Amino acid sequence: MNAAIALKRGISAELYKYKRTFILWFLIIGPAFIPVINFIIFMSRGTEVMAEGGNPWQKLLGFSIDPGNFLFPFFVMIVALFVNSIEHNSNTWKLIYTQPLSRVTVYASKVKIFVLMVFMSLMLFGIFSVLAGEIVGMLQPELGFDQAFDKSLFFSLPFKVFLCTMGYASIQFWMSQRWRNLILPLGIGIGGFISFMIVSQGWKYAIYHPYGYQILGLGNLNDPEFQVWANMEYVYRSLGLALLIYLLAGIDKVRKRII
Amino acid sequence: MSESIIQTHGLDFYFKDFKALDQINLDVPQGSIFGFLGPNGAGKTTTIRVLLDLFHSKPGQVKLFGKALLQNKVEILGRVGALIENPSIYKHLSGRQNLEVIRKMVDVPKERVDEVLKIVRLVENADKKAKNYSLGMCQRLGLASALLTDPDLLILDEPTNGLDPSGIIEMRELILDLNQKHGKTIFLSSHILSEIEKLATDVAIIDQGKILYQGKLEGLQQADGAIELVIEVDRVSEAAEILKALNYTISEQNGRSIHLPIPDKREVSKINKALVDKNLDVYQLKTSEQNLESIFLNITKKLDQ
Repeated sequence: MNAAIALKRGISAELYKYKRTFILWFLIIGPAFIPVINFIIFMSRGTEVMAEGGNPWQKLLGFSIDPGNFLFPFFVMIVALFVNSIEHNSNTWKLIYTQPLSRVTVYASKVKIFVLMVFMSLMLFGIFSVLAGEIVGMLQPELGFDQAFDKSLFFSLPFKVFLCTMGYASIQFWMSQRWRNLILPLGIGIGGFISFMIVSQGWKYAIYHPYGYQILGLGNLNDPEFQVWANMEYVYRSLGLALLIYLLAGIDKVRKRII
Repeated sequence: MSESIIQTHGLDFYFKDFKALDQINLDVPQGSIFGFLGPNGAGKTTTIRVLLDLFHSKPGQVKLFGKALLQNKVEILGRVGALIENPSIYKHLSGRQNLEVIRKMVDVPKERVDEVLKIVRLVENADKKAKNYSLGMCQRLGLASALLTDPDLLILDEPTNGLDPSGIIEMRELILDLNQKHGKTIFLSSHILSEIEKLATDVAIIDQGKILYQGKLEGLQQADGAIELVIEVDRVSEAAEILKALNYTISEQNGRSIHLPIPDKREVSKINKALVDKNLDVYQLKTSEQNLESIFLNITKKLDQ
């Protein structure tokens, strides 16, 4: 059987099983969280926020990306838990791995779905953020949302976050696949993120900490020299790590005994 | 037709240092209902997981349909339906949607879902959420998803475990039906002896990772074809002494009766005479063919000694 067809089957089955699950809502509501808050801020205190003048879109971009970048690791941890706990909870590892598909196919389907979920939610985040700005602009024209602004930043920055996220996301995925326990991967993930916050205060190797690539890689939005595609070493580190971890997790799954 | 559907050769399996399977040589003929019998923890589920390659065997140890499992895994699994231990069901989906998930993986036509629902008699509840299913319905749904690919071999691990009597009867009818009308070979594990007795054409008995008997069900009953005698007397312990003096082994003794195996019915009158001569009142002498249960206990007990 053609490997591509097999993978397509694996993915379509994988997609179907999230029907009517909480995670589907989570993937939509999660990315809407910050845009909705920003919408409320601009609607209720827009004039105060814009007191110094400037382009409100720039302000909105900062209000969106910075907190988004901070909260996103937690979102990723929960998604990684969900896509694996759906099998742990229903005892279905043994079901999906006794179907006539190779173990690599079944494993790769799950990885693909996970990566796709993370990607889609970041793109949704961009859409919701732009929508929030447009609606505020319509309702409160005096804030100046009609000024020209490169709105592609609302998608290119999340895309960079996506690339820098792949590294630790793969770690979260592996842990969640291995352990039935929900607390363990979550605890290690939060621990990883907090430990980055601590070591980033001055330890010179903090730049290699996988839970910090998305923060270090994005740089400072308010810097006039700011460029989207600078600091690419973090993107490469993240993608390299992801490749390695998905490979190891795959070997793990192919060799492991499935209970 | 006696082509072997499942063959294992010297199958060993370890959990760390614990030898879970010890030189298992199974031979499951085509068209049979093969009962795989053993107490809890004997290695039944381990064997089944090895047969499905959930636990990896070593090359050459397992053949299904005459082909090596490890090299032809995808093709072989396409011809096998399995139901392993506790049901594997997505509780948030309906029965039909559960089947749809698997259908997408195995790529059979959509109509097949309705067909298997009909086979396991789950049509009416197909659109209910699986979390509202009874255990019996869960087991039948599991069987339905095993049947999706119309497999030649069904591997069922304790399919009646936890079911109530009517659920057990229903499952038994289903299994017989699949074997007789649909021509499927069925490999069935159980620790419930009466269950196997009613279904199986062939059996293997496993205990502590070793196969103790393998062959036709009738063969097992003849192999150990002793008769059991139950004696009811007024003074049981005195009677037991007399019998022991006559070199009989007593298998069970309680306040009212004595159970002992005898090689021949002619022994009954000898025993009766001996007891009456000692002035004991014999109320009842009852012989019975040994059932599978006592044969099973005898076989598995032998290993402990």
